[in-house]
Amino acid sequence: MKLIEALQIAQAPPAEGKPFRVYLACGFMPLHLHTFLRAHLRQRLPDRPVEVECGLFGDLPANLERAIALRFDATAVTIEWTDLDPRLGFRQLGRWRPSDLPDIAGRTRARLAQILDSVRRLAAATSVAVSAPTLPLPPVSHAPRWQASAWEAGLRADVAAFVAEATATAGVRVVGAPELDERVPPAARLDVKSEVHSGHPYRVTLDDVLGDLLARLIVPPERKKGLITDLDDTLWSGLVGEAGPEGVSWDLASGTAAHGRYQQLLDALAAAGVLIAAASKNDADTVERALRRRDLLIDEQQIHPREVHWGPKSESVGRVLRAWNVGPESVVVVDDAAIELAEVQAAHPAVTCLRFPAGDEAAVQALLVELRDLFGKETLSEEDALRAESVRNAGRLEAVAAGSHEAFLGELDGVLRFEPVNGARDARPLELVNKTNQFNLNGRRYTESDWRTQLASLERFTWVASYSDRFGPLGKIALIAGRRDGEALQVDTWVMSCRAFSRRIEHHCVERLFADFGVARIEFDFVPTERNRALQEFFAELLGTAPAAPVRLEREHFRESCPPLYHRIDGVPHG
Amino acid sequence: MDNLQPRLERCFAAVFPDLGPQEIPRASIGSVAAWDSLATITLFTVLEEEFHVPIDPADADNLVSFELILDHLESRVGGG
Repeated sequence: MKLIEALQIAQAPPAEGKPFRVYLACGFMPLHLHTFLRAHLRQRLPDRPVEVECGLFGDLPANLERAIALRFDATAVTIEWTDLDPRLGFRQLGRWRPSDLPDIAGRTRARLAQILDSVRRLAAATSVAVSAPTLPLPPVSHAPRWQASAWEAGLRADVAAFVAEATATAGVRVVGAPELDERVPPAARLDVKSEVHSGHPYRVTLDDVLGDLLARLIVPPERKKGLITDLDDTLWSGLVGEAGPEGVSWDLASGTAAHGRYQQLLDALAAAGVLIAAASKNDADTVERALRRRDLLIDEQQIHPREVHWGPKSESVGRVLRAWNVGPESVVVVDDAAIELAEVQAAHPAVTCLRFPAGDEAAVQALLVELRDLFGKETLSEEDALRAESVRNAGRLEAVAAGSHEAFLGELDGVLRFEPVNGARDARPLELVNKTNQFNLNGRRYTESDWRTQLASLERFTWVASYSDRFGPLGKIALIAGRRDGEALQVDTWVMSCRAFSRRIEHHCVERLFADFGVARIEFDFVPTERNRALQEFFAELLGTAPAAPVRLEREHFRESCPPLYHRIDGVPHG
Repeated sequence: MDNLQPRLERCFAAVFPDLGPQEIPRASIGSVAAWDSLATITLFTVLEEEFHVPIDPADADNLVSFELILDHLESRVGGG
């Protein structure tokens, strides 16, 4: 982004609504970094006004204390060497004699500890995005630049330890050095003239990229949920129908190790909760034999469903989306054939289609990095490990349920556990709210700061429900939140994972609300959206008519219209 | 020359969004309240990106109006 574009974006008429307030804490003159951060945040939050405030020049610790006191929605903390010791900057003059170096290192360590303490206190109330020093060090060390100096290595080790501590703190995210290094090489970052004249040390490219990365940490992009892979010349090298199951390869000796690395990545993604399916124009039996090869680097059980036939790929993708019960915007299709990708893209415009560049090692490597970013997740939850298994079980479950649904529900041995959500340490509840579309009361999304504010309110309740049955645990699959208002309960947040559909868990949720709060009526802040069809159908079934906002449900009416419920309830929270 | 002026006007409009189209060609550091030292740095950075010519901060004392900046750019990049 050029500065003129950033200015135009930042100055465009603001959206209506509650402003998203961000504090930019740094010790230098923020200048264009402020403009770019605001512009990138506006792009990420098009529906909200964005305000970015800055602190005082030259005093990062005081600016951090100000951020703690004023409670912004998020804080961006940009640390440079000069914040750790002024002798590591360019504006303040001091001694660089060898005898001064231990003192500089000691002060740097102490200042990092002070900043870490502030960042931790900040993170208790808001989300925090941090960038560690990005600029080159001035020639302080007595060693030549081509030789590592113990002093500088120690300095960098202290910063690395700070980053490790900060990333381990809930609510703190740190700018990733690989992405920054790739987009702005270290030698292209410092503008000494600007630093001396205005106190702003960054070249404009660094302002742009750092603004983008900080904005991404503050408002993270939605990660993809599933990957549908082609097989021939993608998961393996060769055509299995011609070469046979033993004739396809993915190893170094055959010069096809890029396919092996792709398998490795898919295996790692699957273990982290990403859904993996196959769509291939092939003979199904031959493919099954290839997938059972012991040297395959992905657990073949993780590939589900497998659409292997001679029909159009777009139809295969459609069936996989239905089996997974996820939207096309959450899915990536990888295929070596551009024509197949074009056919899929035409039928499913929201799917991300990526070509597997078979035979081009560097391009495959770039693809693997891109896939890692598209599916990347900061922390993994218990639900991530359960997701693929529960989707596989859904197929078995549908087969069993094809008989009597009542008998099926009665024999599930389902257990529902309701727990209050206490604090924002567990990332799963907010993930549920922000990533659920089909059973979502109103489609409302929350920033981390909004979520923390909600959880801190003494008037409100927030329950999360976990579920398990004889097909296995599903983990935390539903969240419901609101407040009591006299004889009524106001529910403004209610989501349920699509993996939990068809088990009447939603009925159990309403039943528990009536039972636990003892209210005569529940009022749901329902808003129909393009995608919450499952919730609309639930209300329509209960009310006997299409729901209109807000939905009011009387206890007696619910009792009369609620079908039989079979699950055992565990751990009912007090309302 | 014809190409430079509208591009420069676009730069001024981005840096000084409160200026109307008629005011921009007459803008000077004395007539625009928002034209302070920080706005000067922003304006010069925008100009460097737009016209691909380095502008020395030391020239700030001379480049104090739309007209003077236009003259400076014409001498550096031509009117093409």
